[in-house]
Amino acid sequence: MTPPDSAQFPDPAVLARALSQRVPTADGELDILSEVELAVKAGETLAITGASGSGKSTLLGLLAGLDHPSAGEIVLLGQRLDELDEDARARLRAGRIGFVFQSFQLLPALTALENILLPLELAGRPDARERAAHWLARVGLAARAAHTPRQLSGGEQQRIAIARAFATDPEIVFADEPTGNLDAETGARIIELLFELNASAHTTLILVTHDDALAGRCQRRLHLIAGRVA
Amino acid sequence: MNFARLGLWLLRRERRSGEWRVLLLALIVGVGSVATTGFLGDRIKRAMNEQGASFLGADLLVTSPRPIETWPAASTKNSTLRTSRALEFASMVSRGDAFQLATLRAVDAAYPLRGSVRIADRPFAAGTPRPAQPPPGAVYVAPDLLPLLSAKVGDRVQIGEAHFSIAGVVAEEPGQLGSVFGLAPRVFLRADEVARTRVLQPGSRVTYLYQFAGTPDRLAAFSAALKPALDSTQRLIGSREGVETLHGAFANADRYIQLTALVSLLLSVAAIAIASHRHALRHYDQAALLRCFGATTAQLRALYAVQLLTLGLLGSLLGVAIGALMQQALALLVLPGAATRLPALGLAPVGVAIVSGLLALAGASLPALMRLIRVPPLRVLRRDLPPLPVAAWVSAAISGSALLFLIAWYAGDARLVGIFVGALAGLVGVLALLARLALAAGRSVQKMSHGPVRFGLAQLLRHRFDSTLQLGAFTLALFLVALLALVRSDLIAGWRQQLPPQAPNYFLVNIAPQQQAAVAGYLAQHRLKSSTLYPMVRGRLVSKNGAPIAATLPPEARDSNTLRRELNLTWTATLPANNAILAGHWHGNHRAAEISVESGMAERLHLAVGDRLGFQIGDQTLAARITSLRSVKWDSMQPNFFVIFAPGQLDALPTSSIASVYVPPGATGVLPGFVKAFPGITILALDKLIANIQAVFDQIIGAIQLLLGFLLAAGMAVVIATLLASLDARQQEAVLLRTLGAQRAYLAKSLWSEFLALGLLAGLLASACAEIAMALIAERLFDLPLRLHPWLWLALPLAGALLVGMSGWLTARHITRVPPMESIRALN
Repeated sequence: MTPPDSAQFPDPAVLARALSQRVPTADGELDILSEVELAVKAGETLAITGASGSGKSTLLGLLAGLDHPSAGEIVLLGQRLDELDEDARARLRAGRIGFVFQSFQLLPALTALENILLPLELAGRPDARERAAHWLARVGLAARAAHTPRQLSGGEQQRIAIARAFATDPEIVFADEPTGNLDAETGARIIELLFELNASAHTTLILVTHDDALAGRCQRRLHLIAGRVA
Repeated sequence: MNFARLGLWLLRRERRSGEWRVLLLALIVGVGSVATTGFLGDRIKRAMNEQGASFLGADLLVTSPRPIETWPAASTKNSTLRTSRALEFASMVSRGDAFQLATLRAVDAAYPLRGSVRIADRPFAAGTPRPAQPPPGAVYVAPDLLPLLSAKVGDRVQIGEAHFSIAGVVAEEPGQLGSVFGLAPRVFLRADEVARTRVLQPGSRVTYLYQFAGTPDRLAAFSAALKPALDSTQRLIGSREGVETLHGAFANADRYIQLTALVSLLLSVAAIAIASHRHALRHYDQAALLRCFGATTAQLRALYAVQLLTLGLLGSLLGVAIGALMQQALALLVLPGAATRLPALGLAPVGVAIVSGLLALAGASLPALMRLIRVPPLRVLRRDLPPLPVAAWVSAAISGSALLFLIAWYAGDARLVGIFVGALAGLVGVLALLARLALAAGRSVQKMSHGPVRFGLAQLLRHRFDSTLQLGAFTLALFLVALLALVRSDLIAGWRQQLPPQAPNYFLVNIAPQQQAAVAGYLAQHRLKSSTLYPMVRGRLVSKNGAPIAATLPPEARDSNTLRRELNLTWTATLPANNAILAGHWHGNHRAAEISVESGMAERLHLAVGDRLGFQIGDQTLAARITSLRSVKWDSMQPNFFVIFAPGQLDALPTSSIASVYVPPGATGVLPGFVKAFPGITILALDKLIANIQAVFDQIIGAIQLLLGFLLAAGMAVVIATLLASLDARQQEAVLLRTLGAQRAYLAKSLWSEFLALGLLAGLLASACAEIAMALIAERLFDLPLRLHPWLWLALPLAGALLVGMSGWLTARHITRVPPMESIRALN
């Protein structure tokens, strides 16, 4: 499959209107996000920044359809998420959305190659194994194909996770603090890799970070302060 | 790739993970024990039937006072049943001037179909197996006939108008358990030579014996077709009836074996439930990730269901294979004869075992699986998010109905299910309470301790919920294993008591009153131990409260064998050993018209204390009131009676007596002398029968030991699953401690003190539960006397401490060795 041409997809790739998230706590209701408005065009790169507890990860989860907002509306890849149930949102993500997490989230029982293979198999790609091997090579870890996550360093694990995110040719990649668990030098290399792959795949990239260097690489930045767009 | 295949792929990749191994182990153990029980139960039943058949001489015996001309369609000609026909009648046998009434059995060449006849060349020798049909012109005779006729092997005797030579002495024959009393000595002759004697005339009293042998299904079909065609004078006797005296022991063994298998299975269910819970906990992240990648609920359900089903089938098949191997090994070791004769393992136990395994797995792991597939995808970002809760009633309904079904399936009767479920629920409640109390008591111990021990105990007390669960699981495992081990040893002891090494092995029948003193003197002279001498009068039960007995009974009860034959009536002031009064009071030396009736007979004939029974004894009738109902241990190898009169009622009637005696194997040489000295007394040899009974007991005991092994394994599976379930939390704490500078020895001591304390407490609680439960069930379920087990209070806590301590250390020791960084990475 060739990389998707962003022009053929509805624009914007992600749209949020009056997005709010409120959770019950012992001291009453707490607003995590309030009235967030956002539109991300296909192929655009966006950094969501803010201090700890400002609602960055919550916003990312809502935009990716991993959670329901308390109020507001999200349109992801042309679909209104509030019209979809949990399973329909899962189907929307399948093969079209990639994720990179701060804690890598590789399955410990699977090898590096198999971890990349997993979403390809789930998406039913016929050339899954070749594709996984290709992406493993793209992130420079062809020699570690048979290694399990426990045998890899943090940086290597995150490279595998990035390969896994891009392997299905997704339209959007969501990344949550992709360098949060890495030292500065490794983090820098991971940022390079992420942006290089993103550029060549013309993917929409939405990432959460409080790393200024990383945010600076994005075309646009959305800064949150106490759940509101600054 | 579909999700079912993905499930298998992930399962293959995770095959090394601990929880799968425990789950699989638990399943193998549970299914293995069910399969072994199924196979063994089947084989033991067959072995019992075989013993019964060898007592009977056939698998089925039909007796009739007339020849049976037509047999049901499903009968012998077009089926694979083997048949033999014999005639039995009484006739005088003479030699010169000596005459003796004998029971003649005229047999064909096929007799007996089961068991063997041994013929010796002199009385009371072991003899060799031979066909029961003598050569033409010859007879085989019972050893006690020879002195009565002053004859020896080779002499000629006359029966009716024909002359025969004595070709041998019958040393052993089937059917010795039949009507043992009042038998005239046995003579075997050829069926085709009966006509030559001209003894049988129209109207002669003859019993026609039709024997059948074949496969159980053919026999079942045949007897089902035959039963309606038989009238009240004809009897169909199955091979199990040949071993009536063993029924109590068999029923106990059967019940025990079933119960052990059920408990093994339930312990396995507990282990599976704990293991699947841990599996689910450790897979929440995986499930959340798969949801992120686009997996729907249905797809996740398919993925995990396929994993469970695969494990279920794999575990079940391995369990069945192990069960088959085990019982084959046991069959070769304990039942060598049976192993070669018995047909291959049936498919039915395999099916039962596999279905049990899958049901157990479903019941135990579906609640955890349901939570797993309800993991919110957001967990990939917020790892503290728990899965959506599953309604408690849904989990309870799934697990409960699967378990209820299993229990009901095994117990097969609603009352037993009720008792079992009630007991189990009560037990869980009591255990939870006791565990809480024990932990509270542990607080004071903790305060007195120091260093790592204090820390270890503090761990226990800090995680009170987890500790209660662990303590409860360990206690349950120890308790159930101990309980069944106790019942087992009491059962075996009970059997051994019934058949002590010097159990009577000969019956002396027809001792005339004037011979009693001489017999006692003869036995004493030869140092032979005999039972009490019971006087015996033969009489028929004819009336109840003045009405003919048959008229007082519902039609289906009128056919009772007890009404058709003469009963052996005795009297004594002392309640015989192995008898127990169930209702009314024992008449003792009260010289009134009172009787005690065996409870089974009372039930069959609808008799109660206070009823007045009439007996026809010779030409006299005699009435007596029932003052007590008795239980009788028919397998005690002592003279036993349905009806016992108070002294003074039967004395005036012509009586003979019966006694049992133990003759040691080396002392059988005295028997020919006895027969010569007391020619009228019949000796019935039971030594072969006793050896057979002991062989059956040995087989059952072997089976029970094997099942106990499975039970232990199931208990271990619970302990290991529980320990593994708490491993992650322990690992986290160990990492923290090591990071803060705790040395390995400190961690090791802390872990040991935690595990030892848990095991010790569990052992104590289990001792209490086992003692109480033994007291409750021993008497009711297995008819065993109440006994206390003081050693249990020492043994179980020690065993618990050792077991939990060792397994705990083996499960958790690596966390004291792995560098903290590696542990942190593993936990991430």
